[in-house]
Amino acid sequence: MSTDTAAPEAADEGSALAPWVGGYLRDHAIHIAVVAFFIVYPFLYDVLVGQFGLPAEMLLPRLQTMLVVLWLGLFAMSFDFISGYTGYLSFGHAAFFGIGAYTVVLGANGQLPLLPGGLSFMTLMLVSALLAVVVALLIGLVSFRLSGVYFAMITLGFAEIMYVASRNWDWLTPGQSDPSDGINTPADFNPELGVPFVDPLQVETGVFGDDAILGINFGDLLVYNENLGAIVASYFAIGAVVLVCYLAMQRIIHSPFGRVMIAIRENEERAKAIGYDTFKFKLGAFMISAFFGAVAGALLVAYRGSVNPDAAFFFLVTGFALVAAIIGGLGTLAGPFFGYIFLEGIEEFLARGGSGGGLQPFLEEFLPGGILEMTIGGDLTISGALDAFMTGHGEFYAGIIFVIFVLYVPIGILGTLRLRLGADSVATYVSRRLGGSTGTGGSGGGGKSAAAESTTAAESVTAEGGEEDAPREGGGPAEGGE
Amino acid sequence: MIEHLLILGDLLDLFTSPSRLIAVLIEGLAKASLYVMIASGLTLIFGLMDVINFAHGAFTMYGAYMAGGLILAVGAAEMGLAMVVVVFLLVMLTIFLVLALIGTVMEVSLVRRLYEYPPIFQILLTFGIAITLEEFMRMFVEFQGINNGQYRFGWETPRLETVPTALRGATDIGLIRFENIHVLEILLGVVTVVAIWTFLNRTRYGLFVRAGVEDEEMAAALGINVKQTFTVVFAIGSGIAGAAGVILMWDPLWSVSVPLALAVLLPAFVIVIVGGLGSFKGTVVASLLVGMIDAFGTWAFQTGAITFTGIDDLMIFGILVVMLILQPRGLFGVEGQGDHG
Repeated sequence: MSTDTAAPEAADEGSALAPWVGGYLRDHAIHIAVVAFFIVYPFLYDVLVGQFGLPAEMLLPRLQTMLVVLWLGLFAMSFDFISGYTGYLSFGHAAFFGIGAYTVVLGANGQLPLLPGGLSFMTLMLVSALLAVVVALLIGLVSFRLSGVYFAMITLGFAEIMYVASRNWDWLTPGQSDPSDGINTPADFNPELGVPFVDPLQVETGVFGDDAILGINFGDLLVYNENLGAIVASYFAIGAVVLVCYLAMQRIIHSPFGRVMIAIRENEERAKAIGYDTFKFKLGAFMISAFFGAVAGALLVAYRGSVNPDAAFFFLVTGFALVAAIIGGLGTLAGPFFGYIFLEGIEEFLARGGSGGGLQPFLEEFLPGGILEMTIGGDLTISGALDAFMTGHGEFYAGIIFVIFVLYVPIGILGTLRLRLGADSVATYVSRRLGGSTGTGGSGGGGKSAAAESTTAAESVTAEGGEEDAPREGGGPAEGGE
Repeated sequence: MIEHLLILGDLLDLFTSPSRLIAVLIEGLAKASLYVMIASGLTLIFGLMDVINFAHGAFTMYGAYMAGGLILAVGAAEMGLAMVVVVFLLVMLTIFLVLALIGTVMEVSLVRRLYEYPPIFQILLTFGIAITLEEFMRMFVEFQGINNGQYRFGWETPRLETVPTALRGATDIGLIRFENIHVLEILLGVVTVVAIWTFLNRTRYGLFVRAGVEDEEMAAALGINVKQTFTVVFAIGSGIAGAAGVILMWDPLWSVSVPLALAVLLPAFVIVIVGGLGSFKGTVVASLLVGMIDAFGTWAFQTGAITFTGIDDLMIFGILVVMLILQPRGLFGVEGQGDHG
């Protein structure tokens, strides 16, 4: 939360502070704008839905959905960090999400060996992330000897073993029910997110958690939906963690380490020939991505307070991160996050998940009763058909959208945007426009853009022609078609 | 300590009592037959086209549901054993053709567009198709109430009602004891292997396919219509996937449900990878390996030596991981196949 508010405030004082601050803010203008939008969104949603009722509710994603998107988006970003930037498809990435979630729950239940009970949520989150790093090291040591499909399959194998274990291992739920039903945290476990050692900045997350941060009560700020205060507080607290994680990953991508990751994706042989020990770089990138994947899993528990195998270790958890990454743009760090928002938004619009929102209630309200009762065939009425096809089958529409994206927008939303703008990233483009000059100006922009420019070009080649891959494949059977 | 002795005793018991050993072997063979039917379509498509067909499991699931519907529509439950088996085989042939048609449509309209892209895009495309197909079936099934007790079309959970009584029990012949359904499974598995082997090695199209696997450009240069070969292979692979669904419908361990798609897809992957991408021989050997290990695992669970319920799945993926560590290209994999992104 502190990061969120600090940025816009500093913007006003920028010129008075130091020259580099202005440049820095210019470089991050788009980030600030996006963060500002996310801060405003709950209140915007509140007012618009309050004012316009059903039409607004139909079009805008609900706050609960935006909250879910936060950790799923972070997970998709961590998936993209390894898969999109090094080109090694981590098909068992759900393993790390699951480790993050399960470690926190087991820790809260006092079941982890060597750890005392009663640890705070933040500590458990850190422990789970570090555990994921260790597991990633072990998996990586074995898996990075392979490449391509084999790498994807061995990581999937590890994740599936964990999935089976999480469904069947009695130790997970001592004296309780079937482990495949999932495990709960104890009733007195209150996950608190916030800045360590600063008490006013601790937020108890969850549906029944705090509804105030720094004495600001969100329930009071919301005009129409006062009861959503706790959700908004959780949204900000979890959003702050996601933001910090995003900035950290973005920093790594733009560091020399990240450049080597991209070099591995573009041509691993060449990167090796230059003298980089690519094995170590791949392993490092895998461990970093596991860290953030586990944080995402821990955030799930922070809000839900429970976890089950299908929401954690399941193959489709990775599957939908992949879908989001493709829709948003593989190899663009923020892309998967927006991809998830797009995906969840569409799913909610066409197939409302839980309560409210979406097209169906709108149609039922505004279509005249005569049409609703019309029969299509047999004893099926239109309202019956709406019920059957527009409630809870989001994956159907997600699949169709995904296929369309793969066929027509293979580089995703952000990737396409980059290509259109002709910049290495949307952030650079905005900062360049704001700066008014052709150079990137500001702090540390010069070298960055030159290096990244080639990335964009390479990305478009990979996506559009595959010529870049031809020498590597050595005349393999992939060069089919026209 | 005593527990360990007990396990040892069970093991001794297994290897000293031929009847028990034979029973486990027959079960392993039956499992292997199912695995080879599940996996061979996938391996055919991958070997020639480098496409990992994620929709494979969905095809199997569609095959199972459609077969259930067909068999019920024919009213096979009331017929005698011979008649049921004939109907069953006819249904299997029909499902093969229907799924082959669906596969053709999918290849011509969608998959074909992506051949010049890196292979990951074909994975993504088929994954998207798989999600859509599965969810569509779930919609349909829920709508029809097939698994909820309200039967609009008289579709019931197809398995239980359609398995003829003669195939439900087990038979003892001297020392040998086997489940009746396993005989049918083993026969079908053998037929599948022989048919695919004949297709690959004794037909003109099989020659095209092998030439395409070897060197696609050269094959095209020699006048082989590679594009058409791709379509045919994709159709055959999809058809086999559907036909496998027909027998899975009758097997008590699998039966019909929407999650069958994923339950089939993952072991099929494992077998294809363990056998070596693109090698049909590898797929057959890997199926035998996985089937046998699976059968011994089940036996160990039944004797109480292992109390972990997920032992089957755990072992299948364990085999995958161990194999990839020891032999990164699988049993009969070709260097370079499947290495690129």
